[in-house]
Amino acid sequence: MSSEMNRRRFVAAALKTAATVLLASGLPAAKTLARGVIRYRMRFLRPPGALKESDFVARCIRCGRCAEVCPNRCIRYFDLENGLEATGTPYIIPREQACILCMKCGQACPTGAIQPLQHQLEDVLAGVKMGHARVEKQLCLSYQGQTCGVCYRACPLQGIAMRVGRLEQPHVLDGCVGCGLCERSCIQMPQAIRIIPAHG
Amino acid sequence: MEETIAIPTPGRRPWRRHLNKLRWLVLTLVFAMLLLLPMISLYQTYVAAHGYDLLSPAQQRFYDFMEMLTSPFTSDPEKGLDAIKGTTWSGRFFGLQLSDPLAVLGQIAAGFTLYWPFVLSALIPVAATLLLGRIYCGWICPATFLYELNSNVAALLRRAGLNFGRKRLDRRFKYLVLFLGLVLSAVFGSVWVALIYPPAIIGRELYYAIALNGFGVGAVFFVLTLLFDILVARRGFCRYLCPGGALYSLLGRYRLLRIRRDVRNCNDCVKCNAICEFGLNPMRDDFGQECNNCSACIAACPTDALSFGIAIRDLPNQGDGHLGPRYRRQRAAGKEAS
Repeated sequence: MSSEMNRRRFVAAALKTAATVLLASGLPAAKTLARGVIRYRMRFLRPPGALKESDFVARCIRCGRCAEVCPNRCIRYFDLENGLEATGTPYIIPREQACILCMKCGQACPTGAIQPLQHQLEDVLAGVKMGHARVEKQLCLSYQGQTCGVCYRACPLQGIAMRVGRLEQPHVLDGCVGCGLCERSCIQMPQAIRIIPAHG
Repeated sequence: MEETIAIPTPGRRPWRRHLNKLRWLVLTLVFAMLLLLPMISLYQTYVAAHGYDLLSPAQQRFYDFMEMLTSPFTSDPEKGLDAIKGTTWSGRFFGLQLSDPLAVLGQIAAGFTLYWPFVLSALIPVAATLLLGRIYCGWICPATFLYELNSNVAALLRRAGLNFGRKRLDRRFKYLVLFLGLVLSAVFGSVWVALIYPPAIIGRELYYAIALNGFGVGAVFFVLTLLFDILVARRGFCRYLCPGGALYSLLGRYRLLRIRRDVRNCNDCVKCNAICEFGLNPMRDDFGQECNNCSACIAACPTDALSFGIAIRDLPNQGDGHLGPRYRRQRAAGKEAS
């Protein structure tokens, strides 16, 4: 009987130790492993007002309600292509369909993974940071001497996110929230302006 | 004291026999809504774009169909069709935010944070489960709709001589799935229970298939569970593996609404046990926390011995039904002896 008790006690102790080790050291290690392997395989944006990446993935319950209300049909969902951890979470590929900053997804989001913001300039500037536009001057028509300015015309925050210089040459300003309408509208192939995602 | 044996009078069957039909109506309606909502969402985006002429012929036909369907109810589809949004996993129902308790639990596990507007949205489902038990599983869950149809397919196969899917596993296994799902969600900081919970998968995948670009990996998972139900154990996923079912079972353990057997009317015909999708034993008063009050056994009972009652516990095993052959034989023997 005592050997039985001893074994039981040993198993309990072993389980307890394993749990402690897992929680103390294994947890961050497992997280890093999972994220390091699977994240950022593709360039994508999170919907406007999304929390930073780790919080977003922890908050999002994969309900699909953000795309359901998106009038521009720009929100898509990951399958397995970006790792198990991101499966079912929303993303935007700006070159395919960019965000029009209507902010309906944040109001529909039940969990606050996408913050509820109003469709107002102050809210957008304070709460949205999907990324930042970058101009590839070798590709940009305006920088090659052919007046274009399409990206500026498409920008919803003209003067705040972007201004144009000589020959309609685009200059991205700090106010850019990364909605991607410039990238969507660029007539060059490949696009001369693209959003560098800011999900941390 | 002489016991009276109530013989059910023909032509006066109680209305509770039709509850199972009502349940099927509800299940069908929920599933139909899950099909209709993505279509409404798609239609609304077409309306918002003001570009009917830019749609492809197929899209135009879809637009016309949806216009025909919704025009009696609203002249402004962009705003007038917003009453119901989302799925059974999380949705808005006439201004009321409702979420699956498992969604809330999974999110708390993944992020170690409470977002109160979200937590409160699970209040009504939790309260309903505390009082009425696993009614979500039996009466609402869109996966139940498909799983029960799938059970019928399995029954047909069995009739054709393909006799599989008879395994019985340990019901407690699903609590382990719930626990491990939450632990993994916490370890990886990602709501993983959402990926293995059939109703959440169905809501999502139907939306992907109708409004976006086709089924995803969740559909594959769901088909695997259907095969599991046919080949391994009848209704196996719900009985043994579903993490949501585990949570609802725990919440509904001390429910008030219970099915009970009137031993005087029972004739031990075993139809209730045969019909029970969860492999319970209504004929011997064994329901437990697994019973989802689906009322299939009530509908199957030929002598109306089963009914809904209000109690916090099941009755203990009442023994043989008084209309059953064994009880009557014993009774006759007892009378002879005295």
